[in-house]
Order: sequence, then C-alpha cells, then structure tokens
Amino acid sequence: MKRVYILLFLFLFLILEGVAIKFLPSSIVLSEQMMVPHWILLILIFVAVFFDKGHTYHAILYAIIFGFLVDIVYTGILGVYMFSYGIVVYIIHSLKKFLHGNFFVMLLFSILGLILSDLLITFIYDLVGIIKVSWEHYWLDRLVPTVILNLVFFIILYPILVKRLIAWGSEANWD
Amino acid sequence: MPFFRNRRLFIFLIGFIVLVALIGYSLRERDNVTMVEQFINDTVGWAQNVIHVPVTFITDIISNIDDLRNTYNENQILREQLGQYKGLIYEVQELKEENEELKNALELTESDSIREFDAIQATVISRSPEQWLDEVTINKGKQHGIRENMVVITAEGMVGKIQTAQQYTSKVQLLTGFDQFNRISATISREEGNDIFGMIEGFDNETGTLLFRIIEESEKDVDEDELVVSSGMGGVFPAGMVIGTVKDVVPDQYGLTRTALVEPAADMYEINHVMVLDRAAAEVEEVEEEEEE
Repeated sequence: MKRVYILLFLFLFLILEGVAIKFLPSSIVLSEQMMVPHWILLILIFVAVFFDKGHTYHAILYAIIFGFLVDIVYTGILGVYMFSYGIVVYIIHSLKKFLHGNFFVMLLFSILGLILSDLLITFIYDLVGIIKVSWEHYWLDRLVPTVILNLVFFIILYPILVKRLIAWGSEANWD
Repeated sequence: MPFFRNRRLFIFLIGFIVLVALIGYSLRERDNVTMVEQFINDTVGWAQNVIHVPVTFITDIISNIDDLRNTYNENQILREQLGQYKGLIYEVQELKEENEELKNALELTESDSIREFDAIQATVISRSPEQWLDEVTINKGKQHGIRENMVVITAEGMVGKIQTAQQYTSKVQLLTGFDQFNRISATISREEGNDIFGMIEGFDNETGTLLFRIIEESEKDVDEDELVVSSGMGGVFPAGMVIGTVKDVVPDQYGLTRTALVEPAADMYEINHVMVLDRAAAEVEEVEEEEEE
C-alpha cells in the first residue's frame, strides 16, 4: 500500500516537471543558463536511502519505470533517462552501506547523483548526435544552474519526505 | 561472491544493450508513435491539463489587473489607428475582389492556393524539462485535426512545427531546436519581383538567431531589419508566415553564399496560446518527403 503512495508521488512530480515552467518565473528558468529539473531522481535517491533496505531494490525498479516515462513524455528518445537514472540510483543504493543517512550525507548523495545523471544524459545525447555540446560551456551554463535548482528543491523536500519514508519502509518490509 | 559480481556485470551489459536498442528504435524515421507512447502521453497530458487550468486562472487574474491599468492609454492610441484602418479596409476589399477575379481567370481552385489554411487554437500545457530539446506540448491532437509537420504560430509569428501528434495532445518542435532536417523555405519580400529566396537551415545558439541561407545569389543586398516570411514553397507551411527580422548578414565558411542571421519574431520562451495551421492541401503526403529530403 505504501508503495502506491510513492508511485503516485513520483507520477505527480513527473507531471509537475513539465508544468513547472508556469510556476517558476520563466525569465530565470529559460535564460542563457539551462536549469533542468531532475526532481524524480531526487525523490528516487530518497527512496533508495530511506525506504529500501540493503537487500531490496525498489528504488532501482522505480528509476527504470519513471526514467522510461520521462523518455516517452518529454524527450521521445527512449532509454536515455531510463539508463541514467537506473545506474545512478544503483550507485547511490550501494553507497548507502558506507555512509549513514543524515542531512549532509543526503546532500552529498544528491549532488553526486545530479552531476552523474546529467553528465550521462548529455554524453549519450552528444554521442548519438541529437545535440552538439560545447563542453567548455556545459559546466557553467548547464551543470551548475541545474544542480543549484535541484538543491533548492532538495531542501524543500528533505523535511517532508524523510520521516515518512522511514516509517513506510519499516512497515512495508515487515510484511 | 564472484558469481554475484558476474551477475551484476551481466545485468549492466543487458541494460546497455537495451539502451542502444531503444535509442536506435527511437531515432529511426518513425511515421507514427506507438500506441503505448500515445496512451502515456495523453494520460500525462490530461493530468497536466488538470493542474494547468487553475494555475493559468490565477496568473490570468494578475495579468488582467495589469492590463486594466494600461487600458486608457492603449485606447487612445488604438482610436487614432482605427481612423487609418478605414481607408485600408476599402483598399483591401478592392484588392480581394481583383485577386478573386484573377484567380478565376487562371482557374485556380481553393486548395491550390498556398495562402489558404485553417487555424486550430491550442494552449501550451507543458514544456520539456530536458532543455537540450526545445519541445512543448499542446492540448490538441489528432482528434482535433492536428497532423505531423503542421506549422505552429503565435500572434507575433512562427514558433515551430508539430513533431508528433497523439490523439488528444501533440508535441511541438520549436524553431530554436531546428536543424538541417527541419528546413523552412523562406523569402524576403521585395517590390517588383526582386524577392530573395532561401532556406532557414537551423538555429545558432550563440547569437540566438536563425540561419537563413540565401540561395539565389545576386547583387541584391539584404538590409538589416528586413522581414523574413515563409514562402510556402516547401509545400508544408503556408506562405506569408512571419518568421523574423534580419539582424546581420555573414558570408559562409567557403565564401560562396551568404547567410542572414534572422531574429525570430515570436518569443520562444513565453508561449501560452498558439495556433496550428492546417494547410488544406490534398497533396501534403507527397510534399512531406520533399521537405525531409
């Protein structure tokens, strides 16, 4: 039952990612710097750290499903987000054994996950020739603004999600 | 543990193969998106619509209050302009009649005309968060008569074309995301048949302008601030759609042709209401191939 809540929550943010431009002032979001919301990835990192136990892999399954949905709905090039999100969530899932899940560790995980996934996505798009990336501009014009935008979201999300996910996680893994 | 380690590598490799297969599949020339994609797109589009409606309601109220303050000044200006229009209306009527007569004389039917089109009103409900690809989603689809490759305009000018049409929503490729596979044949209109023809060949991110390659090279000089409109010769887009104004003219890398940098007339970032133009020509199918080459 708790898993359904997580899925609904993820679906809500899948929708919001596209409509967000209407909420956020577009002069900031759509200027020279590109800010890309990776909100689904952030929620998935939370799920991987707080909901999953060491031997359960829900987050990775959700990452593959919702990565695929992002591909279908927003890009039309299938597989890219699915693969990137899947890999990144898997890495976070294996890293959480070594670090205890508190605020600063989550911050570190999020920054790492955001950089890795955005690099992977851009690299794959560049490789198959959908876009031409000028890598010297990429760092300042896309990566830094993207990470900052998503960290703002991370700070809002942290107090809302953590306790709930831990509670749901312990409940769901009992039965 | 070596078995487990191998299994991990195995799964990673399978994932990689699936990725390559999926990308290969989606980069193929696809006439129609699959049923599954259409269904998911329409479902998400419907949900976005649900969220979108109250948000626009509130933002509309705020902008309405802004508008009210400017109304008086605008009214004065508009009244002055209205006086001038009366003369124009008469002139237009005369020209229309004359045009009609001449067309009849040439036995052109309605569908032959490259200026005829139906407009379908639509609202933008979301924009792709992946900003490498400039795509927006609109709330009209095949059920409302939208097909692939139709031109999308706002009041200011052309903004893009329909990339894929689903049953109830469609995706629009914006001009800023155009490349050499999405060319528009365009023209700079001059008097006495001195029109300059060329192709819009892509978008330059550094200068923020469209690249207008001038095909027919001559002594005719292109000036700044000249209006570039679609010529209708590509067959898909109707003629006379405003694309933008010339900002600068530069020679290409071989010095053989010149490229005009065209600033788009429409704002590509704040798009809310658009019109999709259905050029009611019967031979759209055959023309599509020509456009894509």
